[in-house]
Amino acid sequence: MKQPNARLILRSSIAAGLIFAAGSASAEGQFECPVVGGELIVAVESGIPTLDQQTTSAGATRNVAMNIFEALITRDADMNPVPDLATSFDVSDDGLRYTFHLREGVTFHNGKPMTSADVAASFDRYREIGGNRSNLDAVEKWEMPDDNTFVLVLKHPQATFIENLSTYTVPIVIMPSEEAAKGVGEIDIIGTGPFKYVEFVPDSHVLLERFDDYVPTAVMETNSGFGGYKQACVDSVRFRMITETGARMAALETGEVHIATAVPAISKKRLAALDGVELASRLQGLSMGYPNFSNAPTDNLKVRQAMAAAINAEEIADAASDGEFQLQGAFQYPSQAYYSEAGLDMYNQNNPEKARALLKEAGYNNEPVILLATQQFQWSYNAALVMSEQLKAAGFNVELSVLDWPTALATSRDADGAWNFFFTVWTSTVQQGGPIALRGFADPNNVFTPPNNKGPAEMNEIFDRVENSATLEERVAAFGEGQKYALENVLGIPFGVLKSTEGLRSEVKGFKSFTNVQVSNIWIEQ
Amino acid sequence: MQSHIEIDAVEDEPTGLARFYATARRFMRNRSFAIGAVLFGSVVLVTFLGPLLTDVSPNALSMRNRFQPPSFDNLLGTDNLGRDMFARVIYGAQLSLMIGTSVVILNAIFGVMLGALAGFYARLDNILMRIADALMAFPAVLLAIGIAAALGPSSMTAIIALSVVYVPRTARVVRSSVLVVKELDFVMAARASGATDFRIIMKHVLPNSMAPMIVQLSFVFAYSVLSEAVLSFMGLGAPPTVPSWGILISEGRAYMREAAWLTVVPGVAIAITALGLNLLGDGLRDVLDPRMKVEEG
Amino acid sequence: MIGYTVSRLLQAIPILFLVSLFAFGMIYLIPGDAATVIGGPEASAADLEEIRQNMGLNEPFYLQITSFYTNLFQGDLGKSLMLGTPVLDAIIDRTPITLGISIYSLSITIIFGLVTGIIAALNHNKLLDQIATLFALIGISLPNFWLALILIVLFSVHLGWFPTGGYVAFSESPIGWLKTTTMPAVALALLQAGLLTRITRSTMLEVLSQDYIRTARAKGLSEWVVVGQHALANVMMPVVTVLGLILSVLLSGSIVIEVIYNIPGLGSLMGNAILSRDFPLVQGGLISIAASLLFLNIVVDVLYFWLDPRIRIKSRD
Repeated sequence: MKQPNARLILRSSIAAGLIFAAGSASAEGQFECPVVGGELIVAVESGIPTLDQQTTSAGATRNVAMNIFEALITRDADMNPVPDLATSFDVSDDGLRYTFHLREGVTFHNGKPMTSADVAASFDRYREIGGNRSNLDAVEKWEMPDDNTFVLVLKHPQATFIENLSTYTVPIVIMPSEEAAKGVGEIDIIGTGPFKYVEFVPDSHVLLERFDDYVPTAVMETNSGFGGYKQACVDSVRFRMITETGARMAALETGEVHIATAVPAISKKRLAALDGVELASRLQGLSMGYPNFSNAPTDNLKVRQAMAAAINAEEIADAASDGEFQLQGAFQYPSQAYYSEAGLDMYNQNNPEKARALLKEAGYNNEPVILLATQQFQWSYNAALVMSEQLKAAGFNVELSVLDWPTALATSRDADGAWNFFFTVWTSTVQQGGPIALRGFADPNNVFTPPNNKGPAEMNEIFDRVENSATLEERVAAFGEGQKYALENVLGIPFGVLKSTEGLRSEVKGFKSFTNVQVSNIWIEQ
Repeated sequence: MQSHIEIDAVEDEPTGLARFYATARRFMRNRSFAIGAVLFGSVVLVTFLGPLLTDVSPNALSMRNRFQPPSFDNLLGTDNLGRDMFARVIYGAQLSLMIGTSVVILNAIFGVMLGALAGFYARLDNILMRIADALMAFPAVLLAIGIAAALGPSSMTAIIALSVVYVPRTARVVRSSVLVVKELDFVMAARASGATDFRIIMKHVLPNSMAPMIVQLSFVFAYSVLSEAVLSFMGLGAPPTVPSWGILISEGRAYMREAAWLTVVPGVAIAITALGLNLLGDGLRDVLDPRMKVEEG
Repeated sequence: MIGYTVSRLLQAIPILFLVSLFAFGMIYLIPGDAATVIGGPEASAADLEEIRQNMGLNEPFYLQITSFYTNLFQGDLGKSLMLGTPVLDAIIDRTPITLGISIYSLSITIIFGLVTGIIAALNHNKLLDQIATLFALIGISLPNFWLALILIVLFSVHLGWFPTGGYVAFSESPIGWLKTTTMPAVALALLQAGLLTRITRSTMLEVLSQDYIRTARAKGLSEWVVVGQHALANVMMPVVTVLGLILSVLLSGSIVIEVIYNIPGLGSLMGNAILSRDFPLVQGGLISIAASLLFLNIVVDVLYFWLDPRIRIKSRD
């Protein structure tokens, strides 16, 4: 293994150590289920659209499907890339050949042994219909020297290739080659994970069962994030889609479900006081918004800067989360490699006088500023309401446009649409770190809809360095520049990090709050 | 049905005022009508006088005052953004009633016009009634949700969607009573004496088809207030900037256990309004014609 | 009889055409598409374009409408974008669930509606009439999703009688089915019992004023016999005629009720299809639901025509 290259992608030396430990499986200290058996019932807050994991970025799909499927490289609890179906990989000196050594003895849920041919077929499928297929843009071809080795050959070296390859937004999961020949949504749900698919009743539930022939990876002692040493302690898992918050909380309260996602902040105190209910909180995502560069008056830099000056981000994040938030203006969490404080003097300014002065300078003539939000999500609607009050106080003429979610989302994609500012939450964007976090501010993915989709040249130049500089130090430095540019030129306005809470019955042990529900290494005490 | 309308039609016209009192007495003796009138009347009263009782804006945020239970400062408590629920329920009443009234007016105009045309002209009848049948083939709420999704959420959308749903139903009611009325002797006589169709419709047919129409409209009002709540539940109702009752319940339902006042008050308000209108409609029907059938759904 | 049936069926053809046109047009106007929903807020423009290509959402209007009608004439309602299954299969899968709950709910409605309606009519304009009517009306005056949530808090959390939601098939466990469907069925029944109470009451009033009832009473038959044997038989008739209407109301109500009670029926299928912009499913669902209701109404009318020859005269207008 060529250590320097592999190290490039990793910040945490612990995670790096895990990669190098790969291959030398040690039986000691590995997780063992204290109790085996029972059915775990998880109430999830949104409908599961499909289980075809290669084709959707829906978190609701990952909640279930990432217990069935596995990828070559995935992300651990700290969002570092970790080998999963690959036990290790080498990178050639020229950075063009990535050789993956597959985990041995792995069979699919249908009993068929997994080989590099299945991996290749899965990559073929992803390149054709995968949800994030641009992540494979740098790849020229793949090769299968033998059944347990898979090689990706790049067109040009890409420093952040492993980060892209391990993206969990739409993970490149491995399925049997027969399935990989099928189109979107047409596959039978067959993976290599610790749980196998039993049934999916849309709008009701998904049932999974322990896969008895599961061969865990030996690179870690227990599970972490999507990866690690996974064991199915329960016989089966039932994911119930209970979208109505009140009904979901009632189901947790009566013990009909073991785990309920998205506990509202106001219910925490009451639920925590109940016998048999426990809560687990985590950071969910960055509540933020972005302006429309194609519509007046937000096409004017001074007007946008006035907006940023007028905003009291704390109040907005507070309203967006019912008080469950953390102040943060950076596009990365402090624990992440790319974290930077550059440009943060533009965050949470709460300075209406400065805003007025900037508006005057801009020659603002009371043109309406349309805040586009949806009432389907509190983080959108509440943030818009509070921001509207703040902007009005600073002399803006504000209009609120509150649409249903698909309409609002479609409108925000349209440069000529009736909007000046759109509210969103960046979850995977921020969590996965690095270039992905700034991708939305550069061509061709500009969220702020500049004319002809051509963003500021300066930002694009910075982004190129974030993505392609050879060393982590250079990329981190570039990231700071990018964040500073985005905040100072108001490509986006961060409000703060929202928290998310899961409720669980106290007989459930081993649960780790993570961005998606992972049901491995969880057991039910009798 | 026929017998009743005949009686009404040939009735001698007493002096206006005396007739009014006589009719009013007849209505108020009917308990359904009386209770309905009192319930709905008080809702209307509160809607218009309410804003005088509070000088708080329904949209004034007060983040430090979130989830305050009812108290002297906030008679009905505050919501998740510290807004005063009393003001929101009062102003919400205006929007809910505005939507209901608009749907009723549109029903009165289009339902009556189309119903009268269909009833009076056999040729139009076939086309209009097939369109009505097609629209009525969809379950009401499903059609309203579809239309609201197509037009994007706004008060106007809710009004249009609910009108499209209920106009065919109203038209059907009007049509069937027009069919009866137009065969009556005095209408035949008017026609024989060379009166124009328009004059016959306006002067004879419509006034004599009033009763079922009024009853139908009172139910349309009640359904509109309720359906608006369902549209809000689906995120397709009026935009929540000036809240309707439906939006208040819809927003408050996640806090049902901890802040029950957020949903109970608007829920009860909707129930009282719809109940009042339903009773009013039943009473009207009892007084005007106990055997009348009304299209619902 | 046969002539009447045939003419009713022929009349249904233009209606069905209009229904399909409305369904297509309405869906075409809805802004936003399934790709934006699937992609979510963090999908890039390129991601969305990829999703659209996968789903064939990029076709121009004329192609969409031609293929829509070509397929429709072949009885093909297309494939659901979200479920990946043919629309018709999805609808057929879901129908028994909603139908089962509807029948359960209908039984509650009929019992409740008939009892309150008859009590009201027998005590015409007395206190009991008012109470029965009021009781029935309260049901149709409540916002249904609010009622559904209150039932959960009351009967699941506080009393623990029923689970908060979910669905168990009857074939799997009849008791489980009863447990999971009782609350939704009651919530739905309350929404329409008032409708039936009204109809029963007014029909009953009409029947009670008929000569043969007066004669029966004059003969000194007990009130029980008069009502039970003579009046009730006549009351059932209008109940049959509003069956289509009641089913339509049930389907309307089930959109909200099924979402809240986590039941995978037609209602949640259609509600979610609209919210997730699953256009083929919405179109196919609208058309097949409307067609079934139309057909049901024809069946009811034909039955009615067959049962009651007097209608033949009335039906001419």
